Order: sequence, then C-alpha cells, then structure tokens
Amino acid sequence: MDELTSVFIQEGREQLQAMENGLLDLEQDPDNHDNINGIFRAAHTIKGASGVIECHYIENFMHRVENVLDRLRNGEIHVSGDLTGLLLRCCDQLGRLMDVLEAGDPEPSAEVQAAGESLQIELNTYTAHAAPVAGGAIVEVETDAAGDVHSSGGGVVNTDSWHISVRFGLHMLRGGMDPLSFIRFLGSLGEIIALETVPDVMPPAAEMDPESCYLGFEIRLQTRSSKADIERVFDFCRDDCELRILPPNSKLHEYLKLIHDLPEDDMRLGEILVRAGALTQAELDEGLRAQLQVRLPGAEGAAESTPIGEILVDKKVVHKEVVEAAVHKQTQLSEKKAVEARLIRVQADKLDQLIDLVGELVIAGASANLLAQRSGQSELVESTSILSRLVENIRDSALQLRMVQIGETFTRFNRVVRDVSKELGKEIDLIITGADTELDKSVVEKIGDPLMHLVRNCMDHGIEPAAVREARGKSRRGTVELNAYHDSGSIVIEVVDDGGGLPRDKILQKAIDKGMVQPTQTLTDQEIINLIWEPGFSTADQVTNLSGRGVGMDVVRRNIQNLRGSCEVNSTEGEGSKFTIRLPLTLAIIDGFLVGVGKAAYVIPLDMVVECIELKSNTADRDFLNLRGEVLPFVRLRELFEIDGEQPARENIVVVQHAGQKAGIVVDQLMGEFQTVIKPLGTIFRHLRGIGGSTILGSGDVALILDVQSLIHRKTRQEERSMHANSALPRSTQAN
Amino acid sequence: MKTIFLVDDSATILLSISNILGKAGYATEKAASGEEALRKFQSGVKVDLLITDLNMPGINGIELIKEVRKLPTYKFMPILFLTTESQQSRKMEAKAAGASGWIVKPATADDLLNTIKLVLR
Repeated sequence: MDELTSVFIQEGREQLQAMENGLLDLEQDPDNHDNINGIFRAAHTIKGASGVIECHYIENFMHRVENVLDRLRNGEIHVSGDLTGLLLRCCDQLGRLMDVLEAGDPEPSAEVQAAGESLQIELNTYTAHAAPVAGGAIVEVETDAAGDVHSSGGGVVNTDSWHISVRFGLHMLRGGMDPLSFIRFLGSLGEIIALETVPDVMPPAAEMDPESCYLGFEIRLQTRSSKADIERVFDFCRDDCELRILPPNSKLHEYLKLIHDLPEDDMRLGEILVRAGALTQAELDEGLRAQLQVRLPGAEGAAESTPIGEILVDKKVVHKEVVEAAVHKQTQLSEKKAVEARLIRVQADKLDQLIDLVGELVIAGASANLLAQRSGQSELVESTSILSRLVENIRDSALQLRMVQIGETFTRFNRVVRDVSKELGKEIDLIITGADTELDKSVVEKIGDPLMHLVRNCMDHGIEPAAVREARGKSRRGTVELNAYHDSGSIVIEVVDDGGGLPRDKILQKAIDKGMVQPTQTLTDQEIINLIWEPGFSTADQVTNLSGRGVGMDVVRRNIQNLRGSCEVNSTEGEGSKFTIRLPLTLAIIDGFLVGVGKAAYVIPLDMVVECIELKSNTADRDFLNLRGEVLPFVRLRELFEIDGEQPARENIVVVQHAGQKAGIVVDQLMGEFQTVIKPLGTIFRHLRGIGGSTILGSGDVALILDVQSLIHRKTRQEERSMHANSALPRSTQAN
Repeated sequence: MKTIFLVDDSATILLSISNILGKAGYATEKAASGEEALRKFQSGVKVDLLITDLNMPGINGIELIKEVRKLPTYKFMPILFLTTESQQSRKMEAKAAGASGWIVKPATADDLLNTIKLVLR
C-alpha cells in the first residue's frame, strides 16, 4: 500500500471515530449546532481525502452521506432517532469500505455493495425534496454569450484572432494578484498578437493609490483554445473585473457594442482597437456612423450594477456577523486544538524498529558492564554504570513512545452499548473510568476483541430486563463499567456490571450435563464460576446473536493469555459480576531479577518479586513453608526443569506475587537485577508452561524468562486439590 | 526555488499536494491547522504562495486569510484556497477576505500546477 493510502486510512478512521462520537452526542443533545458542524466536517474531510486518493466507492458513498448532513446542518431536516441510527449504520458501512481499501481489494464485495445501496436508498428519503443543484444560472449566461456571436447585423470583421478586453478591479493587487500573471498565462494558451494598455482610469499622481490597480488591456490572441478556456484564465478576477471576449470573425456590431459597454470614451477606444489591429479604420468609421442613428439613451449597465453592489455589501455584512459569531465560539476550542497540533505522526514500524534497537543497546550495555566489572578498573566500571543508567532512561522513554491511552478503545463501547441495549430492549448506561491509563500500543490493538466479548456478555447475560430489576429493588437502568488502572507493573482492566451475577447453580448443573465435572465432585464457588472459561460452555437459555454461542469465554481467555496477561471473574449472585483482566505494561523490555539453578540462569519479572529468603534445609520433603504465619507454597526449579547437578547446601526462595496470590520459587543463586529484553520463544515452544520467553545475557548466554503466573497457577491448584483431598491442616515449617 | 505554504487539516490532502508540488520543483511548508499556520506567518515564514483549506476546526481558512492579509509582509502574496463545487457562496466570502483564487477539489495535478503557475510571480 502506498504511503498516501495508509495516511488516508489512518486519518479516515480517526474522522470516522469523530463522526460516530458526534452522532452519539447528537442523540443526547440534538440542538448542538457545533456538533452537527463537526460531524459534517468529518464526513466532508473523508470525502475530500478519498477523492484525492481516487477511491471512488468511498467518495461516492460519502457524497450521499454528506448531502444528508448538509441538509441537517442547514436546518432543512431535523434530528430523529431514525436519522442518527441511519447515519451510524452509514459509519459502519464506511468502516467496511475502509477495510476493503486497507485489504487492497479493487472494489467492495457484492455483499458490502448491497449494504451500501440499501443505505443509499434510505439516505435518499432525506434528500428527495432537495432543491436541484445550483449552477443552472451560470450555464444560461454562457449560452447567452454564445448566442451573441451569431446574432445578425453588421458585417463580419476580417480577423482570425480572439479579442479580449479586460479592465481589472481596483483591489486586484490587494487580493494578491498581479495583472501580468493573467497576461503571461494567456500567452501559454496561444500567441498574443497585439496588446494595448488602457490606463485611462489612472488618476493624477497625487491622488493615485499605489496599492490600487488602474490598468486595462485590449488583447488579440491567436489560439485554438475554446472561449471557456480563455474565460477560465480570468476565473479569479471575473467578479471584480470587466471582461469581454470576442471570438474570431465576430460581427462588427459586436465590436461596437464592446466599445459602448466599456467605460472609456468611444472614440478613444475605437482608436485603440484600430491600433491593436482588431478593426480597420474603415470598419470603425462605418460602425460608428451606423450606431449614431440607433443609439440607445442612457447607460443601462451602470444602473444595473448598483443594486448588485448593494446586495454584495449586504451579503458581506451578513457573512461578517456569521463569521464573527463562529469565531467567538471557536476560540474556546482553539486551545485544545493547539495541543493537538503539537503531536507528530510517526509510523508504527519505525517505532518498533527503535524499540528493537534499544533492546540491542540494552544487551550490548549489559555485556560492556560485565566486562568492565571483570577488568576491575574502577574508572571503567564507573563510566559503564553511567552509560547503563542512561540506556535505562532511553529504554523507558522509547517504551513511553509506544504507550497510548486506552480511552480510544473504551469510547468505542459507547456505540456498542447504545446499539446492543436497543437491540435487547434493556436500559443500560456505560461508565468509563481511567480512560487516560496508558499501555503498549500492540496490547491496545489486541485487547479490543476480548473486551467486546466481555461487555456484550455483561449486557446480554448480566444485566436483567428493566422489569426484573425493579422487582429486585434495583434501578431500572443497568450500568456496565469499564475501568482501567495501573497496579504493580501491570495494567488492570475491569468490566463490571450490576446485573444478576453469575448463577452458580445453573453453571454447575450445565457443567454436570456436559460432563465437564462429576456430580460427586465438591467444588468451591470460585471453581464453579471459573468453569465459564472452559471451552464449549454456555448457559444462556436461548442463543442470541450477540453472545451465547458458547465459544466466547475460552477464546477471551486465550487471547488475553497470548498477551502474557490473565483474567479472572468475581461474582455475587443478584448483585453483579466483575471481570478483571491483567496485562503486562509492555511486551518488549522489562526489569528482571536474575537467578541461577545449576549452570542455567533464569529471569523473574522484577515487578512480581516480593522478597528473597533463605530456604532452611529441613524442608527437603515438603513444598510449602510457613512465612510469618502464612502458608507459602513453593516450586523447586531444579525439580521442575529436571536440572542436573548437585543441590547446593544453601538454597534461596524468591517470593513472588501475582494477582494477590503468593508463591515461592526455589533457586540456587540470586544474581540480582537485570534489564531484560524479551525475545519470544519459537513457535514449537509456544505451549510450554512456565516459560514466557528468553533473553540474552551480557555474557552472550541465553536465560529463560519464567512465566510466574502459570507457575503460581499450577502450584495453587495443586495446593487446593491436596487441601480438599485430605482436608487436614498442613504441618508447617518455620522459615525464619 | 519558490516556496508554497499548504494548510489543511487533512493529512491525506497535505501529503498528496506536497507530493505533486515537490515533483514539480516547488518547496513546501505545511501546517495542519489555521492556528499553526498563523503562528508561522506571524514569525515571518518566507513563502511565495499560500494554499489553504477553508473548512477547518478552530481558525478556519477565511479567518486565516484575513489575518495573514493584515500582516504587512504578506499584503500582496497570492493566496489560493481549496474548495468544492458545492461551496460557491464561500468563494465570495474568501475573495472578500483577500484570497486571490481557488482550487476546486479534487483537482488533477495539472489543474493544480496550472493554477499555481497563474498566480505565482
């Protein structure tokens, strides 16, 4: 895809979002004229830009939409639920068309085209009574002028060139135009045979205003261009200059009419024309004689022009007021706009490249550090440590560049909640908090779909119909909340609803029916609720087209796990449910804690490390200990990864915490903090549990990064099972 | 080399016009809003021609033209504005504000360059 198209797609999607947000606001506040103008402007910009990149299917579609918006803007039609609904569906269609463009297809599929056509039919109902396009008047004038050429009377003047008479307006120079430009440009159409300057209106030097233009010209032009082409040259000054164009071989009387119409003295102008070679002296004499007999009294042209001038002035006054009022309102917006103007657009892959480079820099820095320490030169150690501090700063700033606010993703849900609640016939409000929470762009891109599923689920299965809510003593309107906040190195996104909560018994029954659990099994409430994450689980009595196909929740969980995140659900029956998604802040570089087992090195994300303690040797046969009165399960990496070598006399436990759960990881050595550039594992290792990636150490060795979350999960699950199995209190060992 | 100042809130249009102008041997200066353009003019940016969109949030094209014309340096500079077929009435308004001429969107590269040739000195 070329650069221009990708710029268009990005811009188009932004404008589309602006349009959609505007339409949603419009439903709440139909009389906000600024908003209507904003919507129109967004549609107009998309249309204009799509014309530039020659994407005609978008241009044509947006043209229809713009027509309706224009009528809305002019107050010819009014805001209604049907109209905003239609326009929102047009936004959807536009999104589909953008997809087509982005995919590089030559034109939309038949399905998309059909959708567009049916929308156009609906749009037409709003424009059906629109006035015909303006411009008819102009066409008429032109045919009139052409008719003149053939009118009878007077002999044909023997010349094969065009004759152009032009008297420029006084304000021409102040409008940034130069009379010479026109003449030069005229020269590019053909050959200028003769040119006479008519400076007659020039006042005496004392009264002359050097900023005004007093010039006129009589020009003979030989060209094959049409009259329209010649006229077009003077397009920009047509309104305030006098322009007459006579085609080759025009009739004499037309020249005479010209002479009369122009402001200069007839005789003098006649002489100029003769000098320019447009007329011969004989032709002029004959013409003037003939004209004397039928001379019309009075200067009609002048009488006509006055009212037009007045109208123009009137018009200007009106416009001035309108403009001033608009400016007053816009100054309030201008500050916000100024902030936006300071943004720089950067292509995402350039950023990714930078992050990659910073990653390499971190690794190279670590290796330099190591060598410096080995060399034992204190000056070298000092300078490399300064260097590595700077590298750390660069790393943070570079990662910051990729951080985007989650707000944009969240605001999309305004529309979803509106549409879905209408479809379901429920009354649901959406509350968003923490929209300014930042997280990595690549995470933001991938979190949209899982969130969509959760929000739809909440609305479909969670929130009860208004009548049921009232019966339960709740307000008629249900709420869905989207919250985002930072929590110890990860970002937490919550989807909360105040609906009926997850029905524990129903879930259990369903699971038993489906053979997912045995009727005899004892499960905790949390375990039952967690069954919803299992593949193929759905409790909705009726499958709606929103959710409830039973493929949802396990897909949601898998998507989130792919982002190195986790999700959990809490629910209180009758009061609502809360889905919590926990995601790492970034996917590229983390602060790690380096540990060693045997000869191998492992990295534990530092954010999860709580403390390190020494493991007493008397715990050899157990896998839990008493940490200040708390049971702390632990895993031995040596056993888990089946590492060869003697167990050292002293082992250490790294206490880690994830989502409120603590566990210990037993290792040989603690090697300290380490900046870790995460390198993904190859696809064959994708299903490996307990390892999240790899990194390269300063020495060039590879260290594996532990996936603490899955380690803890595994450990606590084991623990719970054994607790249920013998339901006896574990014997504890004092650690300290 | 002549320098042309482009003002448009659409990045697509800015990029496409500046591509055309660049190929034709013009230097370009760009601004994405009336405010940004006005700041540059107030700080005396050296340009030979201004091409601005009319319909922009904040300071719109017509206001920009008025303000630029007030600055002595740019009193006689040619100013073109971008418009569409449907905006005939705004042409008058923009001309009254001090514009020299207009370019109808979407314009072909030839239309654009011809118009520029017409107004540039």
